[in-house]
Order: sequence, then structure tokens, then C-alpha cells
Amino acid sequence: MTPIDDDAPPVNPAESLALIARERANLGRELTPDPRLMFWPWGFAWLVGFTFFFLRFGPDGRVIVDLPAWLPLLVLTALFIAAGIITGVAGSKVSRRIKGPSNRQGLMYGLSWSIAFTAFSTVFAQFSGDLPEARAGLLWAGGMVALTGALHMAGGAIWDDRNLFVLGAWTSVINIVGVIVGPGWHSLIVAVAGGGGMIVAGLVGWMRLR
Amino acid sequence: MTDQSEPGVTELDPVIHAQARLRVVSALSVLRDDDRITFPRLQESLRMTAGNLSVHLRKLEDAGYVEVTKTHHGRTPATLVRLTRRGRLAFDDYTAALRALLNPQEES
Repeated sequence: MTPIDDDAPPVNPAESLALIARERANLGRELTPDPRLMFWPWGFAWLVGFTFFFLRFGPDGRVIVDLPAWLPLLVLTALFIAAGIITGVAGSKVSRRIKGPSNRQGLMYGLSWSIAFTAFSTVFAQFSGDLPEARAGLLWAGGMVALTGALHMAGGAIWDDRNLFVLGAWTSVINIVGVIVGPGWHSLIVAVAGGGGMIVAGLVGWMRLR
Repeated sequence: MTDQSEPGVTELDPVIHAQARLRVVSALSVLRDDDRITFPRLQESLRMTAGNLSVHLRKLEDAGYVEVTKTHHGRTPATLVRLTRRGRLAFDDYTAALRALLNPQEES
């Protein structure tokens, strides 16, 4: 093993620059939550949860698989809770390693999600009773996916993270397409393109960190 | 303690121009301004012994490049480390000097 505790200067400038890059990457990795843990649980939740919606509440009111009507929402909610716990634990484990403005920034971003989702839910709950079931479902799903896309884009802007911004923009665009195409198809598009997008984002982030 | 003002192309900052301390400062340069990292986490990232890291942190602290804070997290004492503005400047100058040494013709 080479001694790392001596005071010898590095051998040459090129080696010094390589050393600098290596140490920066090492600590950067320690301070970044594993993108797989941050994105895959959500991607999986969207993929499976919205597929259940598509199968039970298909296009033009079709029932593709005769599941109990309460099952899709139950599956989606359970998967969201599980994903929230996984990303919460993974994120806080990393944020404990740092003390300073970054903690406050992360907290504010996390609170933005909770507060904004509560606000949207309150608005939708006031109106969804007045709409036919399929339209009400589209209002909830379309609104929540739009909010997710917006918050991901904002996160990309805050942390100068292009990967996160692209995910947010992608989610927003496929949501617009899904809402225009209509109920049923929206669920399928969000499941495959939205959930798939998150899985890809987790993979890309992970490969960049390695 | 460093008398020379800006380390030029030929004379590199002696505080950082030691492999171990260059590694410490490089790692700390990832932190954003005013963020502090816990000592054990820094130690793990650098793969140094605690005693060894302490010695180098002391030298960097003497030069005014890092700030070491002892605090309490509940009942357990915690040591936090950050790069000072002066340390960040010295690191930026040092890397600029290295690049200049590598590409002397690109100097303006």
C-alpha cells in the first residue's frame, strides 16, 4: 500500500489534477443519495399503480381486467407510501453527513412537495364530485402528474441538475399528451412513459456517479 | 504563515503542495459555501486514519484554510469541517497554477 500520510508533494501537475478530480468525485458520491433509491421506487410505483388503473378503467369506460374498483387506488397509494419511506430514509441518511445551508435547502424542497400536493388535493376534492367518474380521475391524475413534473423541473433548476430537469420536462410533456388523448390512455401513458422515465433517470444518475 | 501572496506558476502553495493536504482540500472543495461535513464522513471518503487526518487538518487550520468546529449532536460530540473562503481561493489558485504548468502556451 502506498503511504498517503507523508508530506511529499504530488509527482507532477497531471497527476495532481487527477488526484483532485478523484477526491472530489469520492466525496461527491458520499454526499449524493443513490439515484436508484431516489427514482426507482417511484418509477415502479407509477408503472405498476397506473397499469392497474388502465386495466380497470380503460379507454371509453372499458374494463380490460375485471378488478375490484377500489384496488387500483389502493395499490397506487401503498406503492407511493413505500416509495416515500425509501427515498426519505435514503435522502436523510446522506443529508445528515452535512450541516449547513444545504440542509435548509433540502428541507424547503421536501416541504414544497408536501404542501403543494396538499393544496392540489384540496382544490381537486372540491370539484371532483361534480364531474363524471372518468373525468374526475383524469383531473386528479393529470393534476398530480403535472405537479410532479413541475417540482422535478424546479429541483433541476435549484441543484443545476440537468438529469432531474429533463425528467420533469419529459413527465410534463407525456402528461399533456395523455390528458389530451383522454381517460384510460392517460393511465397507460403515465405508467409506461412516466414510470419508465423515472427508472431511466435513476439509471442515468447512477451510471454518472459510478 | 504564508508570506508569498499569490502562488505563481513556479511556486506552488506549500500548504496544499503536499499530497495528503491536497487530497483533504480537494474533497472539501466539493462542499458548498458554509456547508460543513462531519469528520468521520470526511475520513471515510479520504480513507485516512483519524489521527492522520487530524494532523493535516491542524496544519490547514493554522493556515486559515479550513475551519474545524466541535459541536454536540444530542449527547454525542461531533466534529465538523469546512473550507474557508481563504482555503477555497488557495485551492482555486493552486489548480489554476497546475493547469498553467500543464499548458504554458494557453496563458494569456
